[in-house]
Amino acid sequence: MNRLLSIWPARWTRQQRSSATMLTASLGLVLILWLITVPLAMAPEPIGNNAQLFAEGTRVTVQLTLVAGLIGVALGVLAALGKVSRIAPLRWLAAFYIWVMRGTPLLVQVLFVYFALPEVHPLLRMSEFTAACVALALNVGAYNAEAIRAGLLAVPKGQLEAAKALGLSRWHTFVDITFPQAFKIALPPLVNNIVALLKDSSLAFTIGVVELTNAGSQVKSTSFQAVPVFIATALIYLLLTTVMTQISDAVERRFDFEGKLG
Amino acid sequence: MSAHAPAAVLSGPPLIAVDGVNKRFGPHHVLKDVSTQFHAGQVTVILGASGSGKSTLLRMLNRLETHDSGRIVVDGTEVSDDARQLERLRADVGMVFQQFNLFPHLTVLDNVALAPRRVRGLSRADAEARARELLERVGLSAHAHKHPFQLSGGQQQRVAIARALAMKPKVLLFDEPTSALDPEMVKEVLDVMKGLAASGMTMLVVTHEMGFAREVADRVLFIDQGRIAADAPPAQFFGAQQDNERIRAFLGQILH
Repeated sequence: MNRLLSIWPARWTRQQRSSATMLTASLGLVLILWLITVPLAMAPEPIGNNAQLFAEGTRVTVQLTLVAGLIGVALGVLAALGKVSRIAPLRWLAAFYIWVMRGTPLLVQVLFVYFALPEVHPLLRMSEFTAACVALALNVGAYNAEAIRAGLLAVPKGQLEAAKALGLSRWHTFVDITFPQAFKIALPPLVNNIVALLKDSSLAFTIGVVELTNAGSQVKSTSFQAVPVFIATALIYLLLTTVMTQISDAVERRFDFEGKLG
Repeated sequence: MSAHAPAAVLSGPPLIAVDGVNKRFGPHHVLKDVSTQFHAGQVTVILGASGSGKSTLLRMLNRLETHDSGRIVVDGTEVSDDARQLERLRADVGMVFQQFNLFPHLTVLDNVALAPRRVRGLSRADAEARARELLERVGLSAHAHKHPFQLSGGQQQRVAIARALAMKPKVLLFDEPTSALDPEMVKEVLDVMKGLAASGMTMLVVTHEMGFAREVADRVLFIDQGRIAADAPPAQFFGAQQDNERIRAFLGQILH
């Protein structure tokens, strides 16, 4: 797959090319969400006459991914910090969270958040969309935590010593020195997790969220034409992951201080 | 004695006082009851075989290593675990590392300007102005916008010196500053250090550069098996009448 990054003029700096790519790809994503009905409507039956449903499903899938992805990165940072914390209860809490979320199926987690939590306490009753976001965010957060923790541990000890020797506080050492370097190391696995999240968001289907897979399934049951319906569904997923990979490539490039990516 | 440490300075209170300090790494007794003092304006070179404890002694002065017993007082402040006190102390004690330890994600300019902004509260403009002055002084103004990986080892180490100087430290610690450098780059770093010594900077230098010790140091400390085995001006330390067997053996190994 060709990278969008390489189409910019060679005289642009790495930062400029990265920004241009992120901007273009993000615009592309917005355009897809806004205008996807147009090409879908031109497709033959049963896609064309169900273009609205496919478009709505695509939007919901992207919303699920963005919301759960953002919360998941924040959760991942918190859990990673917990796991390397000097305070033992924080370490245990983070380890327990990661152990449970990585050790149980996402499908069970989705069902648990939607069906079981309201029985535990009525205040935990959520809409289908919210419940799916919560379960997906908690799940991807645990995987992100391991990626970020690996990044934190990979920052050389000499960096911390240099920061200490300059009199930087623990906070500034983390914000200015450790985190930017750890995040850069964690980026490829984080991206991997977010792309997986986009596909895993299809499990929201099971609690009745009308996301892309659910939309495809509904069209299939009314049209009885599984082949074109699921090819269209898969193609839309492929389009979305491709755009996401372009954005993440650009982010990775932005953090490539040492020019290792060429 | 050399010109940059007038006797009047040496007679005042010491800038750094090390008193009865011990350090163990597991069963290994690295420093044994070490006591010494360092005065403002003095350039001290610390010599010793690898594993003798010389780097450990240096790294205890800004608490990159803890000491097990004894007292270290830097500029009136006892070195301890009190975080606030430690940050203040470290801000006044600059350090230059063998592996440079520049921040790879920051430009050369930001490497130098970061700590003055964060620790001394300088504005970005003021910190960058100071950083540019210091980069000029170490001969690297043309490289301010680059990232560390784009520089040679010698250039990186000169940035590291500028970074330490940007905090206006009272003393600079050098932990084998030229040991990781290709031979042709050693001189550019030593030249910067000589310039600093001539300007009156208080320096403690762990090194194997005997020429530097001979030429620039006011005082040579020789650490052997965790103890200060010699404390003398370089002329005397390197002199023909040196009668300490272990020092003669050490010098024989280094010089050949």
